[in-house]
This record gives sequence, C-alpha cells and structure tokens, in this order.
Amino acid sequence: MKKVITMLILYLLSFVIIVVAVFCGIRLYKEIKAESYINGSIDISNRFTQESFNYSSTSAVFYHDLYDDTDTYSFEKDLLKVENFDGAKKTYQVILNDYVLLNTEINAGSVFATVDMDFYDTSGNIINSAVMKISVKFLSNKTTLTLATTGKENASFLEQYFADNGIRLRIMEIL
Amino acid sequence: MKLIKTLANCCLAFITVIAVCVIIAFVYYHYFVKDITTGTNYIDNQIGLDIKKADDLTDEEKDEFEERYFIEANFYSNAKNNGIALQEMKLNYFTDYQLMSTGYRSTGMQFLGDLKQEDLRLVETTEEQANRDEPQNFTYYDTTNGINWDGGKLRTQLNRETAFVISIDGKPYQIQLDKTYDWTTYSRQWYTLWIWNKPTKHIIYYNYLNVFADCMQAIRSNSAGYGDYYITVDLSEYFTIRAFDSDSGKYKTDDVTDIIKSYSVLKFHYDENGARNSTQSMFKCIDCNPKYDISDEQIDTTYWQERMTYTLNDTSKLNGAEMFAYRYSEVYDGYFLSLSMVGKKLFADMPRAKVNIMLDLNSEYLAAKKIKVVGLDYNAFDGLEIDTLTIKSNSPVTFYLLEKSLNDTQLKTLKHSGGIVLDGLQGAVNNEYSEVVI
Repeated sequence: MKKVITMLILYLLSFVIIVVAVFCGIRLYKEIKAESYINGSIDISNRFTQESFNYSSTSAVFYHDLYDDTDTYSFEKDLLKVENFDGAKKTYQVILNDYVLLNTEINAGSVFATVDMDFYDTSGNIINSAVMKISVKFLSNKTTLTLATTGKENASFLEQYFADNGIRLRIMEIL
Repeated sequence: MKLIKTLANCCLAFITVIAVCVIIAFVYYHYFVKDITTGTNYIDNQIGLDIKKADDLTDEEKDEFEERYFIEANFYSNAKNNGIALQEMKLNYFTDYQLMSTGYRSTGMQFLGDLKQEDLRLVETTEEQANRDEPQNFTYYDTTNGINWDGGKLRTQLNRETAFVISIDGKPYQIQLDKTYDWTTYSRQWYTLWIWNKPTKHIIYYNYLNVFADCMQAIRSNSAGYGDYYITVDLSEYFTIRAFDSDSGKYKTDDVTDIIKSYSVLKFHYDENGARNSTQSMFKCIDCNPKYDISDEQIDTTYWQERMTYTLNDTSKLNGAEMFAYRYSEVYDGYFLSLSMVGKKLFADMPRAKVNIMLDLNSEYLAAKKIKVVGLDYNAFDGLEIDTLTIKSNSPVTFYLLEKSLNDTQLKTLKHSGGIVLDGLQGAVNNEYSEVVI
C-alpha cells in the first residue's frame, strides 16, 4: 500500500513537473527568440520650418486690445519659420482663399496686403464693407501673421466669413 | 506486462528529467541572463490607406486628410486675459483594422480652465471603478468626419476599457490606456510584534485625466512657446500597444520584450489669448454650446454673399505684369486702355471678385512712361463685372469710349471729373448705370 502511494505521489510530481516544464519551455522559447524591434517611424523634422508660407485654419478670431484706443481688432499668429524667403530678389504671389491679392507690398522679409470685402444681404444690398490688412513678417526664428481691421462690426463679419469659409493664406514664389 | 511497465516508468523518468532541465534552463535564462530586448512604437500620422498622396490632394482635401495625428490639442492660456482659458485634446483613430478613411473617428475632451498637473490628486480607486469611469468636469465630443461633433451617451467613452485602432507604418495596432502606477508602503502592526513591517501595495489606475494633464504640461513647457507646433511625447507610461495578427485576427500583447516604448506625435495649438467663441474650439463647441460667445455686444453677421473688391489703377500689377494694356492710335494721337490678358484670365478665375477701376489721366506713373490715355479700347473690359469706373483729369479733355469697351460689365456707377467729355458712351455700355460728376 505504501509503495502504491509513493508511486502515485511520484507520478503526480512527474506530471506537475512536466506541465510546468511545458509552460517554462514555451516561455523560454519566446524569450530566446525575442528580438528588439521598431514599429513605424516619426518624421517631424520638416515641421519646424516650411519651404513657403502657407497658413490654413477653420476660423480666425479678432481681438481688441483693451489699452488700444484706435479701435483696431487683430488676429495674430506665430508660425513656423519660412526658409529662403527673399522678397527683394524673388517674385511672390499672395492668395487668400483662392483670391489673388493685387497691390501687395513685398519687401525683403515681409509682405503687406489689403483686402476689401463687401457683405451683401439677401436683397443684394451691401450691409458691411470691411477692410482687412494682412501683414506677414519672416523672422529668423518664426513667421508672424497679423490680420487687422477697424471696428467691431467689421471684425465680426470677417470672423463670420472665416468661420464659414476657413482661411487659406499662401505666399507663393513665381518661378 | 512488467517489461512495458518498466519501460513506461523509464520514459516518464526520462521526460521528467528533461522537464527539470527545461525548468532549470528557463530559470537560468529568465533570472540570470541579462540580455535586454527593447520594442519601440512610433505613432505618426493617422492617414487612411486609401488616401492619395499629398501632391494629388486639393487644398481643401489636404486640410481634411493630410494631417491627422493620434493626439491633437488646443490650449488657450488666456495669458492676455481677453477670454477664457480653454484646454482640449482629441484622439484620432480608426474604428477597424482595415485602416480606411471611412473608418475615421475622433474622440475628444474639453476643459474650461487651466488644468495643471499639480492640481491632480492621485486617488486610489477600485479597478472596476477606474476602468468604467471617465474623468469628471470634462465635456466629451465625438466625430466621424472631423466636422460635425456631438456629445452625449452615444459617443465613444474615454475610459480604461476603450481600445482604439491606430495605424503604425500602415499596419493596424490597438492602443489602450490600461497601465497603473503602484508602490508599496511598510508599516508596523501590533500583530507583527515590531519584528517586521507589513507591506501594503497601492495601485493608481491611470485614466485620461492623467494623459490630458501631461499633454497640457508638455504644451505649456514647449520651447517654441505660443503657436502651432508638433512635439513627440512618450506614452509608454500609460498605453499598451498590441499588434494585429492577421492570421488569427487577434491583437496580441507583447509580454516578452523587456522594455517597450511608445512615442506619438502631439500636434497642438498654444495661444496666448483666451478663447472667445466656439469657432476657436477644435470641436466647434464650448461647454456643449456651438454658439458660445463671451462678447458683451452681439452683432448680427448674417449675410447672403461676400465679394472681394479689387480697385485697379495704372500701377496695379500681377506678378510684375501690368493689369492694363495700352494701344497707340495715330488717329487719336494717344493710347487706348484695356484690361491685359493677365487681368482677364485672373478675373475669369475669380467670378466673385468685384472690380472698381480708377483712371487718373494725369497720374505720375503714366506721365513718367509718356502714355497719354485718350480712351478705352474696343472690348476693353468686355465681360468683367465692374462696380465703379472713375475717370479723373485736371484739365478739360475728351475721353473716347470705343465700341463695346464696357459691354457686359454690369457697370453700376460711372464717375468722372467735370472737365471730361465722354465720347461714344452709347455704343460702349449695354446696361443702365448712374453717372456721377466729381
């Protein structure tokens, strides 16, 4: 009887050892076979500068400085540095939402433009005429964009226009 | 029979010995071999596999498809105290492993105020509670097209049970916020008889509040300051990434690699201003209100149509080319003016443009070029919609309008100096207009 019990314990122990060994073996195989890996890649190196000026957004909100008594409302934005802009040597075209802007003042490191926009009611009458000044300055570490208008009403209409149509401002080099 | 039994026992003993060897090998390799494997996951742009190359996309399509990073954030700090502090974060992902643009989805969270890391209190909760609950005091939004957002119960829940499908190198992976932060404290109890300290394990189940606060802190501390930028953040502390096994159709956890790092691009907008109205939100909604506006005076900006106004004069140029062309006439001993081909092409492409024309017959520009304008040429502005034509002169002069020079222009107002006599007006314009002498 004692021998039978001993044999049973031995069988049980062997079974447990074999089961544990199976799990250990699988794990050991995985660990030995494991290799370092890399999935995917990230390349945002071209996200710190841009070749040409291109700004797009779904809205623009004009702020009025409390200490400013000129009733100016402006939208200011710091953007990525633009490489190789040279208004003195190259020719550029300024495009706002598919409208090519004429009479732009293009200097060595800056662009100024004026946009006149009329808004009509459903009867075809002009309900607002807004003048917006665009200023883009290409600095050594960033590009600054400023849109400015006078008066809260003009600012509100322009905000509505940009909320409806988005804003896509491009300064393209003409080759 | 006895022989078979003996053989079986020998086999069992042999297998057991081998099993023991395997166990010893495993223990040795696992605990004593110090080889380290590392896995690195880079989460870049989440563009559907069916999206064309960027060069083939229109500007509008580029806005929609070209940039779609896993984490995007919007932070109005209100440093200028001209609005409200607003923090937003959205996660862009796919709903299935096919990674098509039809499977796009974004889920976002919005906080009105300036949430800082130091404001967070790490609270121990039960695992069930941590997995189920979303962070409080946030507004949540969901979208499938990136334009129309909605909140409520039927959106994707941002809790620890939510797993997103993302694209890494064009292959599907699953990402889930399921990691924890745990530590052990030791304290003496009466029953330990001052002999040993009883260990107590503490577990903090991370949730999206931690991720949100860390992203805002990363934005706040970015070296470029205010603006629109990209940084790479390390999500290894929070997220587990599982690769999709196309054979079994399962997402498999990597439980072998020693160190797994997961990096993602964080695209953000960081603003010095405060948010003023809902158009500034990435969800086009603030506090679940699409008409949110803190302006004290509301202006009705309802309009039917907008038109860009161009005022052309003799100095107007496009890409260095003059907008006006001049043709010399020996009969009239002067030049007839018309819109150049560059100008005609430009305005043909911009049908909503409204044009005013300003002619100063005594301008310095024309004088310098020795151009004496005597009138408008045949079909000078044919088809170009003109709002106001202004002709100015300091001295009495006859200004000739050749045939159809203002045909189909829908001219509204013709302004001219008192000394100018307009010749040929009837054959030049084919619509009614008002004439103003200035």
